[in-house]
Amino acid sequence: MNLYEKLKILADSAKYDASCSSSGSRRQNTKGGIGNGNISGICHSWSADGRCISLLKILMTNYCIYDCKYCINRSSNDVPRAAFSPREIADLTMEFYKRNYIEGLFLSSAVIQNPDHTMELLCKAISILREEYHFNGYIHAKTIPGSSKELIQKLGNLVDRMSVNIELPSSNSLKLLAPQKQKDGILDPMKFISNKIEETHQEKSCKKDIFVPAGQTTQLIVGATPESDLKIIKLSENLYQKMKLKRVYYSAYVSINQDKLLPTLNEPPLLRENRLYQADWLLRFYGFKAEELLNESNPNFNPILDPKCDWAIRNIEKFPIEINKADYFTLLRVPGIGVISAKRIILARRNFELNFEELKHFGVVMKRARYFITCKGKYFDKISSFQSSFIMANLLYQERKDLPQTHNYEQLSMFENILPTKEDRIKCLSGNI
Amino acid sequence: MLKWKHIKDTYLYDGTFEGFLTVVFECYVSKVIPFCIIPEEKYEYNLFDSLFLIKTDENKSKRIFEGISKNISQASLYHAYNAFLCEYDNKELYLLKYISYGFQVGPQIDSMLQLDFVFKVHQMRKKALFECHRLKGLVRFIELKNHIYYASIHPDHCIIEPLGHHFMKRLPNQPFILHDKNRNLFFLYAQNQYEIRKESAINLPSISEVEKQYQKLWQLFFKSIAIPERKNRRCQMNFMPKKYWKDLIEDPYIT
Repeated sequence: MNLYEKLKILADSAKYDASCSSSGSRRQNTKGGIGNGNISGICHSWSADGRCISLLKILMTNYCIYDCKYCINRSSNDVPRAAFSPREIADLTMEFYKRNYIEGLFLSSAVIQNPDHTMELLCKAISILREEYHFNGYIHAKTIPGSSKELIQKLGNLVDRMSVNIELPSSNSLKLLAPQKQKDGILDPMKFISNKIEETHQEKSCKKDIFVPAGQTTQLIVGATPESDLKIIKLSENLYQKMKLKRVYYSAYVSINQDKLLPTLNEPPLLRENRLYQADWLLRFYGFKAEELLNESNPNFNPILDPKCDWAIRNIEKFPIEINKADYFTLLRVPGIGVISAKRIILARRNFELNFEELKHFGVVMKRARYFITCKGKYFDKISSFQSSFIMANLLYQERKDLPQTHNYEQLSMFENILPTKEDRIKCLSGNI
Repeated sequence: MLKWKHIKDTYLYDGTFEGFLTVVFECYVSKVIPFCIIPEEKYEYNLFDSLFLIKTDENKSKRIFEGISKNISQASLYHAYNAFLCEYDNKELYLLKYISYGFQVGPQIDSMLQLDFVFKVHQMRKKALFECHRLKGLVRFIELKNHIYYASIHPDHCIIEPLGHHFMKRLPNQPFILHDKNRNLFFLYAQNQYEIRKESAINLPSISEVEKQYQKLWQLFFKSIAIPERKNRRCQMNFMPKKYWKDLIEDPYIT
């Protein structure tokens, strides 16, 4: 089988992984080396589904010993199979990188023979890149659940980012759809990586040996199992707090396999996925808690209003907010005001009192914000009443006009840290707000 | 507020950043804001304009250059430079006001977004840097027979220099040529040295033997990575406007 045929099979089977971000790493080029990391990430192209292509996203192999129900590569599926050799992966990455097609490599794999054997092959490919070719571009590697700690450690020293995919948001679903995987087999490596990252940060050892500098991420499949949105964002909240994850990716389930345990969906639940991403941002950058956004009596997101507007309408007694007085975290709660515009408001109002016209300059989305704020004690012009029903009706009108464009979540992958500071500034520079 | 006198003169300069800083120096010395500042080659003759040609002076421009980083801030110098790369009508006047008012108020100039010219400068800077960032991803190098890499670009703004610097850091051992086809500018790099040259055309050797093979692999990868069930052309187009497609290897429209 030639390289072309292998790439066809192994890129095709890697595409269901949502993550393609190349941000978070400051890796510098070495003498005689090639490549470097870019802290805010660089997208190199956008495929027909509107997702960005930043990394060469491939599987090392799709021969798998597992038979997870939801997965295209499950052992019972009759699909063409192939395997790259470590050298082929390294060479392809180098050639693509030099031509500026990609920002680096995202290497994942099905489990061949056993987890440790698979991990060893992944390590081999990546050490050829790092040690033989002196490649300093971005590398994201998938950890194989159930592999040994030594191998995880070895891989972690070579790559920029690691991920272990949880995929199914509860242990019940995991038992049902991926009976050969154990919950602990997934969470243990995650804990191990998170502890290691913490350790190296405390040691402040020389920059070169930093373990997984861009942190670890995971992915949850949405819509293959019956979990509510509340359950999913609570899980994410926990992962961010306890495991210090950089990102949780949500992947709308695409019906690729027929199975009595799986739902048959006509199309992937993209709107739900989008709502989860919006809520995820609120958790990470806006100081929201999962219970504030959803609760037991209201466990799923409103399909017609974004989570922040929805929260604001339900808590209308907290508004209106005076732009010239409110503190940073209160400003962040206003629909239409984001991290950057809130910071600009704080900076600018030291010099003078703000009015509605200036807010537009600061990047405030007035079509949403105007219902929730006052400037110098006054409402926005055309706001005739401050009542939730009136605001709701107006917001819905806007939302309906905007709905077709709501799937573009990938751009947001520029944000990486819980407390954006320097990265934030660089992002301002690159204009990717 | 700025108390400089508004005059009816038009100042011409050579279109370079140094040239522009020389103009700033002249305005600063005589405390005037001209009617218009424009590169000589873009100027269209008008009977009523009173013209002054400002000759680029290294010393004068250096004094303003250092003055900005000392008296305003290092960040403001970057802002001014990046905003200057942007193609925008009257960018020179906005920048002149930004710099001269910056000399009065110091580093806090950048938080005064309520002032029209400060806002404009930041808008221009963002436009130029955004395009530069976008192109860092969208540049596609082609390997030529002599192992030099070549890429053509069609940017709206004059961002070839920062773009070239990005690739110098990334591919220090790889000689390459960036070609801004909208401005006929060439960024030539080899062995830690670079040069920006304006040429109408240069002769290039044909592509190397392996080049076609990797282009094919990339086109294949591009096609396979999309999830057909999630097809979303509008989203794709938002991120990657059509004006950049002509320099790509892949065909974004493929399914």
